[in-house]
Amino acid sequence: MRIVVLSSSLYSETACATASHLAGLGCIPPGALSLGTLDLTMLRRKLAQWGPHQFTSYARMKLWPQNRSEAPTIHNPHLERYLRRDGRIFRNLKEVGRFYGFPVATCADQNSSTSLAQLRRWSPDLIIFAGGNILRKPLLQLPRRGVINMHLGLLPQIRGMNSPEWSLLTRVPPGITIHYIDAGIDTGAILKKYEYPDAMRCQTLTELRQRLVAFAIEKLGEVVGELDREAVLPTPQIDNNSGRGPDRQFFVMHDWLRGRAKECLANNRDDRQNPE
Amino acid sequence: MSFQPDRAIDDPAFNAETLARSKSDAAGSSHDNTSRLEKFFAECGGLLRAPQRALALTSVVLTSAIRSFADRRHLYSFATTRRDSTTVLNLTIRWTLDAQRADGGVPAYFSLLTGYSESYPEVTGYIVPTLYDFAVAFSDRRAAMAAHRATCWLISLQMPSGAFPGGLLRSNAHASIFNTGQILHGLIRAYEETGDADILSAAIAAGDWLARMQCGNGSWSGPEAYQSKPHTYYSMVSWALAELANVARTSRLREAAERNLNWTLSHFQPGGWIDGIDLAGHPNYLHFIAYVLQGTLECAILCHRNDGVEAVTKSAWVLLRKFEANKNLCGAYERDFKNGQRFTCLTGNAQMSCIWLRLFEVTGDLRYFNVALKMNEMLKRLIPGRGGQGVAGGVSGSYPIWGAYQPLRYISWGCKFLADALLLERRLKNSFAAHPREAWQCAS
Repeated sequence: MRIVVLSSSLYSETACATASHLAGLGCIPPGALSLGTLDLTMLRRKLAQWGPHQFTSYARMKLWPQNRSEAPTIHNPHLERYLRRDGRIFRNLKEVGRFYGFPVATCADQNSSTSLAQLRRWSPDLIIFAGGNILRKPLLQLPRRGVINMHLGLLPQIRGMNSPEWSLLTRVPPGITIHYIDAGIDTGAILKKYEYPDAMRCQTLTELRQRLVAFAIEKLGEVVGELDREAVLPTPQIDNNSGRGPDRQFFVMHDWLRGRAKECLANNRDDRQNPE
Repeated sequence: MSFQPDRAIDDPAFNAETLARSKSDAAGSSHDNTSRLEKFFAECGGLLRAPQRALALTSVVLTSAIRSFADRRHLYSFATTRRDSTTVLNLTIRWTLDAQRADGGVPAYFSLLTGYSESYPEVTGYIVPTLYDFAVAFSDRRAAMAAHRATCWLISLQMPSGAFPGGLLRSNAHASIFNTGQILHGLIRAYEETGDADILSAAIAAGDWLARMQCGNGSWSGPEAYQSKPHTYYSMVSWALAELANVARTSRLREAAERNLNWTLSHFQPGGWIDGIDLAGHPNYLHFIAYVLQGTLECAILCHRNDGVEAVTKSAWVLLRKFEANKNLCGAYERDFKNGQRFTCLTGNAQMSCIWLRLFEVTGDLRYFNVALKMNEMLKRLIPGRGGQGVAGGVSGSYPIWGAYQPLRYISWGCKFLADALLLERRLKNSFAAHPREAWQCAS
């Protein structure tokens, strides 16, 4: 099966780990398409998302490691098994491409006509979305077997942003869903979903999120294998919501509620350690 | 810069003048244009009489311009501020207390051109519950005394029929349905705080007058209604009647409230839009949309009407999605929430925050709490911490300040609704701290 990986940045560890994992399983992508690192729109988006301080420190860490003689560090330690090969660590998607022998292209917009032309040249059966733009219909219709996404929450209960945090606050078990992307936000048919068994071992929300990403990439490999064998069928989402609100989409969580989600994680951990 | 005659009900010059205008067949567009020009020159004349205001005006306009230019909005971000809610709450309450006149009345606004307006009975009335809420939350005697003085002043204005006058304090004022309803909120709360039987009598007289003036279908129209037409934002009146019915234990007032609730609900559209705001010559400012929702929601809660809560939930969800996607709400919308105008109506935003917070209380859906926290962050950023009297702690009509709704003015009802939103946020945050497990369990 010809699988193309879409990425939000050349430096995205999630995309690097996804491509590396798939290649390690024998599914070497015909190509990967990433948003450019120095694209103005993307930089502005990151600046707005992270704020100036986090933005500059992240850029410094990625572009100018403090000590060049040292090996590059991995932001998400749970991805190390995918990012470390033959004693070296992949710093970006191009290094993964060079190692496994697949091309990496960059673009300003994954929906643009040039991006679509590039994707057509790769003739993908399946596209894995590991980050980037909101995908439009022409791109979604391009691969023969659709575009799939790793969502860090159980669908259909938790759609949208900050899924791990919302899962904790709304008492939905943390987990991941591998699903097709359609025109809505996390509304496509579900291929597989898994509760994450070790959620309550996590010390922080960041750790939970990082572990979920690694868990999702691991499960993605299994699902892709099953898709190849035609051993998995997509299940359309039925939003059996309780009537408290028109849908199950969640949005960016306010910091105060993130604090409560953190407490929830700690309380659940304590309950687990002291069951009575 | 736009000086539209946005004489919505909260504008002090509004009721008496527009009532006269609606009665006059001769009043056409030429009259409207003359009136706009008159208003424009009157505002500019204010600046000539007090040129020292030019400094504040320049400073505020420049700040607003720079801020609106520099604002970046993104799907993954929302406006944040380091200012805590209590600081901003204190600022807005101080603005109100400083604005209050010796007789107890609160002006409608502070204009950067003409200074403070005259006292405005309607706003004075519904600021009373906010002042008492603040007084209770922070054991603040000054706020409680201000609320009491405001109540005494209001009672002195009550007409023999039980009605209250519309518009600014003036001798030829007409009885006004909406303003009586809004003042009723203050009287009820003042009675609850003081137990004063005279206040209750005044409230019942006002409630009885409202019930008498009601049409058979539950709406209010006629000369005592704005533009002599029924409006769905009069749900704020039915909320007051439902409150009074609970306090005075009178079924007839509750029936009147429910009649209006039924009439208002018949104007809710399947897509969440509400017809019948019906302000001829004015856009559907978010302030009025939020009035309909707030009045309907609170009346439905008091009358145990789930259909009312569900209808409001649908509309509030549409606006929630708009806010989450765009990081702001438009100042005015056309039917079906289309063609939103680009300025922001800060009062409407604060009202929406109150509605979302109440919906969180009622439904337990944390997404309403989340969006209200983000809305409050956005509003807190826009409150001037410094500036002269009338500016510091004020809530401008629009953002940027020259937007179509109450341009170049800091409005007292804006302060009221922002204070309400921040007080509600505080109470709900405290309930999380006190009962964390219960709060999480009820979520979604």
